[in-house]
Amino acid sequence: MLAVVLLLVFGFFLGLKVGSIETSYSLIWEALTHYNSEDSAHYSIVHLRLPRLLLAFLTGASLAFAGYLMQALVNNALADPYLMGTASGASLGASFSLFFLTEFTVMGLYLPPFFALVGSFAVTLVVVILGSRRGQLIPSQMLLVGVALSSLLTALVSLIMFLSDSESQLKSVVFWSMGGFEKADWTNLGYPATALIAGLIIFQFLQKHLSVLLLGAERAETLGVEVGKLRWVMLLAISVVTGFAVAFSGPVGFVGLMIPHVTRAVLGITNRFNLIFCALAGGLFLVLCDILSRLLYPPAGMPVGIVTSFFGVPFFVYLLRRKNYRFS
Amino acid sequence: MASYHLYTSVTVSKNLSVFLSTFLMGLCLLALASCESKPAKAPNQKSSYTIKDDLGRSVTLPTQPKRIMGLDAAMTEMLFAVADTASIIGRTQNCDYPAMALTKPVVNNYPMDYERLLTLKPDAVFATEGIISLEVAAQIQKMGIPVYFQAFDSVSDVLRGLKDLGRILKRENQAAKVVNSLQQKLQAFSKDTAELQEHPKVLAIIWKDPIYVFGHNTIFTDKLRYLGADNAVSEVMAQQSPALTREYILQLNPDVILGGTFEKYDKEFFSLYPELKRIKAYQNKRIYEVTDDLMSRPGPRVIESIQELKQVLR
Repeated sequence: MLAVVLLLVFGFFLGLKVGSIETSYSLIWEALTHYNSEDSAHYSIVHLRLPRLLLAFLTGASLAFAGYLMQALVNNALADPYLMGTASGASLGASFSLFFLTEFTVMGLYLPPFFALVGSFAVTLVVVILGSRRGQLIPSQMLLVGVALSSLLTALVSLIMFLSDSESQLKSVVFWSMGGFEKADWTNLGYPATALIAGLIIFQFLQKHLSVLLLGAERAETLGVEVGKLRWVMLLAISVVTGFAVAFSGPVGFVGLMIPHVTRAVLGITNRFNLIFCALAGGLFLVLCDILSRLLYPPAGMPVGIVTSFFGVPFFVYLLRRKNYRFS
Repeated sequence: MASYHLYTSVTVSKNLSVFLSTFLMGLCLLALASCESKPAKAPNQKSSYTIKDDLGRSVTLPTQPKRIMGLDAAMTEMLFAVADTASIIGRTQNCDYPAMALTKPVVNNYPMDYERLLTLKPDAVFATEGIISLEVAAQIQKMGIPVYFQAFDSVSDVLRGLKDLGRILKRENQAAKVVNSLQQKLQAFSKDTAELQEHPKVLAIIWKDPIYVFGHNTIFTDKLRYLGADNAVSEVMAQQSPALTREYILQLNPDVILGGTFEKYDKEFFSLYPELKRIKAYQNKRIYEVTDDLMSRPGPRVIESIQELKQVLR
């Protein structure tokens, strides 16, 4: 845990250093402690790099947290926060606004994230309705409905890409669908931050119940956990946290699947700090991926989704091959 | 119990055989479909010669092409400037200049409508680098139609391209006429800018989200050179139209932005990226709209494009 926190601090300083304008650590310190708005380097550090890093951290933390809950909810090692069509709903919403609406902003509201949020919640709602019976969530059915709907929505996004008549429009949609943090600013950090912190506080209290749920729903019932209610609370948390993360950063892949497994491999299945560690590790992972993307492909950086898979997969496979790792 | 087992095994084997036969039929159909058809014979290939195009590809062209076509808007403009217009047999959905182009039959170029192209029976087609992919060109070549690419990184490339087309189409005189008139106008620009005091840094924005701009290694930089101005993007990047971060643009601090009117940019671009309001172009309200086609199409209208840039920069 301490190592992750230390790495995060280091990652933040490194992230503040990397950019178009040459900066030293002393300049970063100066910008953070004696901010001068006339100095363009100060401005870049405080108004561009810092929000970008915070958004990367919040997105990684949100997806890792939601992934942890999702894997517990459907008791499946392959589950990730996008299982309920959140990502494809968000992609469709954003693609729709990028393609059909020539205005990017209406009354100061930047449209793609707004549509992404609407899309992700709408799809989640449909999956919940189709994946439950008489008010009872049926995880296996939800999983299947989610996968089926996702492929339908992905086809619709492909249709929008196919209909794009300009290369730039196509690039917009593609760029969005691979995730990135370039549009981070102080005004849009509040939503994902609030959702994540609220989720973490609620589930820190329910931590024991989550661990029991991994033993299977029936056993959890006999141990006094109200599985039905717990599932609904988890579902709500997953959709809100994922929805906000995806709306501002695009669907960044792999974090929500991988980091929960890393957490359990490092701390074990029932550690009470699992959720906090998972969020911190997810945040750290995306901060490092974002820095790497900007170093590999200056100035704009490549879409972060490419980097997460590139460096995440080998590490993940190594982790799974370790003899002592078990999902539940 | 035993009968139940018998029943299920029969159904399973039935289903399996249905599945297998469907699968095999599908495979046969696929095999049939993927049989390579022989390339169609190109018309008029009695006398031909091989030359290298701007990409260094060897292209075998008929000595006197009678039926030609441009595969993109810039190339159509180039051909109309040099070729006998009767020999131009088609255009793409984007080709809208000169007006006479609109009378020609349309072949979609994205996705490429190969069948329609084949029915027009061109002797040769011409394409601009970066607009038509090599993959599409290879497919057209397979049908027996040679594809000649031109690349335009500078204004002089356009003049050279016009001369090359004159040679290929046996229209040297027409090409020389067009090139000479363009050269005279260019010289006038150069004289004009010799005594200029200001050398503004100009950023041409193509797309707002992500922010794509005309990079340094483009004809846009060369057009500005005739006006004594500079492309704000001075670094040569991997892509011709790179995506830039807000931080990078802040650092460039361009004097002028091209892409839309100040009012439009204030409402859309700068409300999306309020951090960029610090740049000089915004502070001094030097944000202008320019004609898209003139900016994005290298071709004989390059002079008009420079003229338009001159108007907004002064």
